[in-house]
Amino acid sequence: MDKVRANLMLCAGTGCVASGTPKVKEALLEELKKRGLDEEIKLVLTGCNGYCAEGPVMAVYPDQVFYQKVTVEDIPILVEEHFLKGRPYQKLMFKEPEKKTAIPRMGDIPFFKHQVLRVLRNKGLIDPEKIEEYIARDGYQAMAKALTEMTSEDIVKVVKDSGLRGRGGAGFPTGLKWDFASKVKSDIKYMLCNGDEGDPGAFMDRSVMEADPHSVIEGMVIGAKAIGAHHGYIYVRAEYPLAVKRLQLAIDQATESGLLGENILGTGFDFHLEIYLGAGAFVCGEETALMRSLEGKRGMPRPRPPFPAHKGLWDKPSVLNNVETLAQIAPIIMNGSEWYRSLGTEKSAGTKVFALTGAVNNVGLVEVPMGIPLRTIIYDIGGGIRKGRKFKAVQLGGPSGGCIPESHLNTPVTYEDIVATGAIVGSGGMVVMDDNTCMVGTAKFFLEFTADESCGKCTPCRVGTKILLDMLTDITEGKGKESDIETLLDLGRDIISTSLCGLGQTAPNPVLTTIKYFRDEYESHIRDKWCKAGVCRNLTTFWIDEKLCKGCGACLRACPSKAIIGEKKQPHKIIQEVCVHCRTCYEACKFKSIKILPAGFEGDPSELLGAAAAGEGKKGDLK
Amino acid sequence: MAEPKILIVDDELIVIKSAERVLKSEGYSVEGALGGREAILKMGQNSFDLVFTDLKMPEVDGITLIRWIKKTKPDVGIVIITGYPSQDTIKEALELGIIDYVPKPFTPSVLLDVTERAVEWTKGKKPEEAKTAEEFPPAMAAELDRVIAQLKKKPGALIPVLQRAQEIVGYLPPVVQKRIAKGMNIPEAEVHSVVSFYSFFTMKPRGDHNIRVCLGTACYVKGIEGVLKKIQDTLKINVGETTEDRKFSIEAVRCLGACGLAPVMVIDQETYGAMSPKKALEKISQFDPTIIESASAEQAEEMAEKEA
Repeated sequence: MDKVRANLMLCAGTGCVASGTPKVKEALLEELKKRGLDEEIKLVLTGCNGYCAEGPVMAVYPDQVFYQKVTVEDIPILVEEHFLKGRPYQKLMFKEPEKKTAIPRMGDIPFFKHQVLRVLRNKGLIDPEKIEEYIARDGYQAMAKALTEMTSEDIVKVVKDSGLRGRGGAGFPTGLKWDFASKVKSDIKYMLCNGDEGDPGAFMDRSVMEADPHSVIEGMVIGAKAIGAHHGYIYVRAEYPLAVKRLQLAIDQATESGLLGENILGTGFDFHLEIYLGAGAFVCGEETALMRSLEGKRGMPRPRPPFPAHKGLWDKPSVLNNVETLAQIAPIIMNGSEWYRSLGTEKSAGTKVFALTGAVNNVGLVEVPMGIPLRTIIYDIGGGIRKGRKFKAVQLGGPSGGCIPESHLNTPVTYEDIVATGAIVGSGGMVVMDDNTCMVGTAKFFLEFTADESCGKCTPCRVGTKILLDMLTDITEGKGKESDIETLLDLGRDIISTSLCGLGQTAPNPVLTTIKYFRDEYESHIRDKWCKAGVCRNLTTFWIDEKLCKGCGACLRACPSKAIIGEKKQPHKIIQEVCVHCRTCYEACKFKSIKILPAGFEGDPSELLGAAAAGEGKKGDLK
Repeated sequence: MAEPKILIVDDELIVIKSAERVLKSEGYSVEGALGGREAILKMGQNSFDLVFTDLKMPEVDGITLIRWIKKTKPDVGIVIITGYPSQDTIKEALELGIIDYVPKPFTPSVLLDVTERAVEWTKGKKPEEAKTAEEFPPAMAAELDRVIAQLKKKPGALIPVLQRAQEIVGYLPPVVQKRIAKGMNIPEAEVHSVVSFYSFFTMKPRGDHNIRVCLGTACYVKGIEGVLKKIQDTLKINVGETTEDRKFSIEAVRCLGACGLAPVMVIDQETYGAMSPKKALEKISQFDPTIIESASAEQAEEMAEKEA
């Protein structure tokens, strides 16, 4: 052990594995051996680092040098330069977007610099398959404290005072939930973990389960003690095989070490934990539905009350917490509620992990104090919009959430402020959209999702979402009617007020927020048959502005249906009869000479384009 | 086959008489036997097409009779009549290969219904599921039964059993669902309700290579729709379908949680990030090189058509 002079923390999360971690690992081991460095340089496979887009990523400790997009071909030079000659290898470092200078240290990279790691405290630092490494980072100390020094009331009080709110979506105070369940008298109670991360665009729970499975287990044991439960289940999506494997390994190791099972740490407290694989139903994220699914039935929600704290799994008092919530518990027990409250706002304390994806430069998981503005996340951490395009909207909260426009980017991310915009914090999916995105199409995308995932138990959700979807489909196909917008709004409000569970009660949000902030887009779809983003095929005409066209031929080569003609260095032309409106030429053109016009447009579009350009100017450019 | 000949076996005369009355009125030729011993004697003298038998009878009981018939006269169809459908005995009878069962007391219409089906069956017009059952290899069935036996005692076992069953068989056709229902002593409807509810379960066979395309938000924003369309057009199947040669199937999934790599596609267990229509075809073509060739040939054809 004392011989080791450097640790290579190679990410082995789902993202990096897909990008090539297994091959890189083999190459690294071989190269280190070849150079006789295998005794002094240790390779550790860590859980998800969060910076998935640049994977495979690797951090070198103790010097904290961060390498990204590591390939097998890079390994010989990397090992020679860094570990033999002592010169960190610049080619694989993060480069500042503007100056192109390399930033060697992980802590200096903007993506990591603004983050505060509480939930993700162990990401990239430990081997998730070894319990010793979790323990070495103070793991299970909070559990020991809770089991030996604290009463159930003490635990509930600390968690209540911390202001921790459920990170799964609704933001219900965790301490309160535990308080209810702890006061119910019952011989059997259940402590459950919701790892059925169904929101498309969110993957923080997967990351935590893969990178730090013991933190979830520790949180569950503490919760079990608080409410007086001796049995628990972790409900995980079957789509997350790596998370399942690591959790099972963690449970086995903890049980072997006496940290789970009978008589934990000799305190006389028993807690048995099992994994239950979900089978792919979005509605199972809803607590009563998840409990039905755990019982082996159709995962359909039921009306509350009775609340699960009184009648949950098999009608026994149960508490269901989200993965990220549970991962917050141990630090709160160790450091106290005041420490937790030192970050965040009065009503939204602590940190929240967001899955920043879509049209931003830096894609990945970010953990930030609640209350910081959306803009900071998207521009400072996310590095702004890809390919220099314009920001259009950020989608928060998945299919239950909404789209927030540029004008609201200074909104602080707290449960209350985000709800005021019409979106929700949800589980923390944050998908950034640029001006290539059609907002009607986006609303349709989410309604396709909810209409498909509606369990069918209550009519407003089952029928309502389908009608919303049909109307949106009509609008995107050019069959929209003038009255449609009002009908969408009315119906949306009705669905919200009459649906049984959270799925239906939030399903219209994507429609309502896009109408609220992008009503002009709906109107141009309906009235002008014009999808200005050029996404809805029936509502576009692609046209080359001859004044701007340089005749480079990029569009001509890219066009899959050979609809573009023109000599080299001469303005090109699109044969409208042949064009399939696939938008490929629009992407290919480097001179912005291809314009998107209303469906079936003929004649001189200059007046129309002038108006459109003025309209764009009004919204204000983003720096 | 002439008039189907039916033997009713029961230790209560009234049951035999009433069944006889109902069946004779519909033109069946019917005889009765008071108990298993008499049934064996009668079957030695005459040939029957169908035997209706009670299970609980003194001396030679129903199960023993069924075993004897299966061994000596395997062509005879068997239906059981029972007032106390104890799960174990019925299960045993089912395993011995009975066609159906009639609960006691029965109404004439139920009896006629079952008889009609049973006659059809003995004529060789076996119902669809029975045919599939024959294709379902015994080894798979044994493994399935083992899994059911192992998990059925645990509360909430149905979903784990179905997951394992899908691993073993590859998909969950009605015959598998029925076997699970029988094995777990729950109604088939309950099994089907769970199978049809969760997107993880499929009732259609998948291809050798299952292509799962992520339709999550991040993938949507980054253009997964074009990728999916290209794959569908190239393989000429829709989402949820399998190619004719059973080589590929396409499945749409709701977010694989690999949003950092969007748009994402998974073939079998391998995840591929940053897909474009072209890259996706390249990845698929590693399992069938003709994919790309046929795709480009088609394009050439289309072009030729347009030019003409």
